[in-house]
Amino acid sequence: MTENIQTAQQNIYKPAIMKIVARHDEAPGVRTMKLEFQNPAEHELFKQNYRTGMFGLYGVYGEGESTFCVASPETRNEYIEFTFRQSGRVTTALANSDIGDLITFRGPYGNRFPIEKFYGKNLIFVSGGIALPPTRSVIWSCLDQREKFGKITIVYGARTVADLVYKHELEEWERRDDIDLVLTVDPGGESPDWKHRVGFVPTVLEQAAPSPDNCIAVICGPPIMIKFTLISLKKLGFDEPNVYTTLENRMKCGVGKCGRCNVGSIYVCKEGPVFTAAEVSRMPQGDL
Amino acid sequence: MTIQETYKTRAKELLSSGRVKMVVGYKAGSTPDRRRPHFIRTPEEADRLILDSACIANLSGYLITEGLLSDEKSVGIFLKPDGVRSLNILAAESQLNIEQIVVLGFDVNNNEITALKGEKAEDFSTLIESLKEHVPQTPGNPLLERIEAMNAKERFAFWEAEFSRCIKCYACRQACPMCYCRRCIVDCNQPQWVNTSSHTLGNFEWNIVRAFHLSGRCVGCGNCDRACPVNIPLRLINAKMAHEVLGAFDHFAGMSQTQEPVLASFKKDDSETFIL
Amino acid sequence: MTRILLRDKLDNCVARWRKAGLTVIGPVKKETFSSYAAVENAAELDLSMIMPDRSIKGLFFPQTEPMLHYTIKKQALDIKDFTPPPEKRIIFGARPCDASGMAIDDPLFGWDYKDNFWFQRRNETVIVTIACTKADDFCMCTSLKLAPDSTKGSDVMLRPLQNNRGWLVEELTDRGRDAFNEIADLLQDGSEPEASIAVVPEKFDLDACVTWLQKTENFESTFWKEISMRCIGCASCTFLCPTCHCFDFQDEGDTYSGIRRKNWDSCSFALFTMHTSGHNPRATQSARWRQRIMHKFNYFPGKFNVNSCSGCGRCSRQCPVDMGITETLQAISTLQP
Repeated sequence: MTENIQTAQQNIYKPAIMKIVARHDEAPGVRTMKLEFQNPAEHELFKQNYRTGMFGLYGVYGEGESTFCVASPETRNEYIEFTFRQSGRVTTALANSDIGDLITFRGPYGNRFPIEKFYGKNLIFVSGGIALPPTRSVIWSCLDQREKFGKITIVYGARTVADLVYKHELEEWERRDDIDLVLTVDPGGESPDWKHRVGFVPTVLEQAAPSPDNCIAVICGPPIMIKFTLISLKKLGFDEPNVYTTLENRMKCGVGKCGRCNVGSIYVCKEGPVFTAAEVSRMPQGDL
Repeated sequence: MTIQETYKTRAKELLSSGRVKMVVGYKAGSTPDRRRPHFIRTPEEADRLILDSACIANLSGYLITEGLLSDEKSVGIFLKPDGVRSLNILAAESQLNIEQIVVLGFDVNNNEITALKGEKAEDFSTLIESLKEHVPQTPGNPLLERIEAMNAKERFAFWEAEFSRCIKCYACRQACPMCYCRRCIVDCNQPQWVNTSSHTLGNFEWNIVRAFHLSGRCVGCGNCDRACPVNIPLRLINAKMAHEVLGAFDHFAGMSQTQEPVLASFKKDDSETFIL
Repeated sequence: MTRILLRDKLDNCVARWRKAGLTVIGPVKKETFSSYAAVENAAELDLSMIMPDRSIKGLFFPQTEPMLHYTIKKQALDIKDFTPPPEKRIIFGARPCDASGMAIDDPLFGWDYKDNFWFQRRNETVIVTIACTKADDFCMCTSLKLAPDSTKGSDVMLRPLQNNRGWLVEELTDRGRDAFNEIADLLQDGSEPEASIAVVPEKFDLDACVTWLQKTENFESTFWKEISMRCIGCASCTFLCPTCHCFDFQDEGDTYSGIRRKNWDSCSFALFTMHTSGHNPRATQSARWRQRIMHKFNYFPGKFNVNSCSGCGRCSRQCPVDMGITETLQAISTLQP
């Protein structure tokens, strides 16, 4: 606990400079950006440290920093991808940044998904809305070594068809015969040509009824979706230690100092953001 | 019967008759000279009520606690004239329905406590009018007189030194019954109107913004001044603004529940000395 | 061998330390306010007060401090690291509770990632603590298993002699020894009768409180709402607290150049935990007060094996509505576990 983690800087709050090399609009107000390190030493350190599940703080000088997961998997660490919704001061500045612009990145921070523990198991990924990015990085980590896992099922839903993110990847996953993809939109959110399900994620999950045998579930979504999805998984017979999720608390420092991500005895930025449902259920529920 | 006992009985009556669901008053604090707010919901709790000359905090800010008045039930509250004035402003600015408030009025002068007659805010309007008539022409505060005698540069230096202690804990704002904004301007960041850092510039910005937002609204209760953990004489700033507003617009804050906010209203005979 | 520093030598000491390049800091009382501030001579020090209004914290973790300077040019972003300018300092006359507070926060600023803004100042500062001979109603170090003469966090402990004659010198660290070697010839050997240390009655049973706090079901107890009803949600208690360490980052400047600052922040503020979505895990003042108490006496000790409170009592002493840790823990210790 007292062994200091190596950072490229003496000043742990100093970020790396990143160049935006690509950007893609996912949904109204939601954008993905692809970043490249400018300093090889910083990139090297990132490659050494980054594991799927970790997050970073993405910044625009003069505006501040904002926390998002790294949406690209550890198997593809030449670059960083992250997805954000424009809503506050920093994300507005990020949205106004263009290809070729320089922004900043601090990280990778936090813990990871223990992917090697998933080897040989069936996987079910459940996500809602803009919470696909953390799941997506696990999904690609697994797809990039597909042979090591059993059956892979992805249940993803959004409020409306337009709100689904990574649409091009959803199409790709749909075409693959080694993935079961279940897409859904909330009632009323369907378009005339919508061919998939209509209904809330937990309901659709129960209909899909994945077997809990030798299966790991990874769920990411807004707090309300997580709450009901956990209930559905329990009904389906999943044990809490086999269900993984991420907590998305407000953060400023990312390194366990500033105090705001604290829930119970947990500093989400250091001991999270990845938790099993068993760990989450031990936290003070009123503080989530 | 002492005033305290009279009011204790009154509070019990109000509660047991169902006239009010709660009485906000005072009780003993952690040292003999301290009083702390007391939220009385049962006649038994009224036994711990204290009313004496140490009860000087303006409690009216608690009336706009989220959800307190949303069930349309009435609440009783101990208020001095400054508290009644801030209650009037809260009503005038549509923050509460004054019909729900039962006032238990009292005043403290020279360490003497007196009971004030009335139970609706409007029952105290004659008293408040007389307060306006008797506003002293001179500040009557040695420090304020000292500041008045300074030139602009000296005054700036004085406040710079005072504000240098500010730590931006916002105790002044939180203690002030008039600072009820759900999201204060310093908490808005698109754009970042006020610098949040607690350095010379940031501290000046905050304290000046607050002074302007309270112009014509401050009733001089002194809650901010007493709350300040670094003892900045905040009351002086607001007292000065109140004095200016009275002179320029004949506006004395909190006269009635229908009084228009001075900086948000226009009268044809308003002084326009600031328009060049 | 015990050494003694006589009070009439203090002015010489201050001069000597200053000559050796140390900034001398100590309790200073201005008209209406007291704090630890830099002094030029011993006469400026007020060693008679119970404790300064402001804690020692700001000397190590300032209320606002630059982290980085940035300059944005066409296709280039220049970031200059800010490091606090080196400054060797000696704090003369710290209170044991304030000194303890700094030691309490060391593990927080050091776990895994080392905050050098904190540690540079810690390493450059000698804390000379004077044991307390008086206390007020709000002092509660003994309830926190500390004492008016605790040496935790101090480099040198001075024990007052009778009749205000001076202090018995107890050097605790190399840093402290170095600073006192600088003035060795101003000290004298021998012993004199010591003044009696302040008596601070225990105000609550900490172990009983911790047991109660650790019970999961008490997290949802109505107690929290009752005790915090009058809390107005300012940050006076957290900012005056020697151990509260939460902070925020703020950029100031424009799109061309500016500074990123680290500013004190507080769990008392509603915005502290507010998510972008509008969801706020701690949406009510009672949830925020509960967090403060839980963090200090349950979560922090669980992590760092030390309570995040040194018992200075400033939270209660200066609370605008007469709340504070003392009252809360006193109330908790009377509850059924």
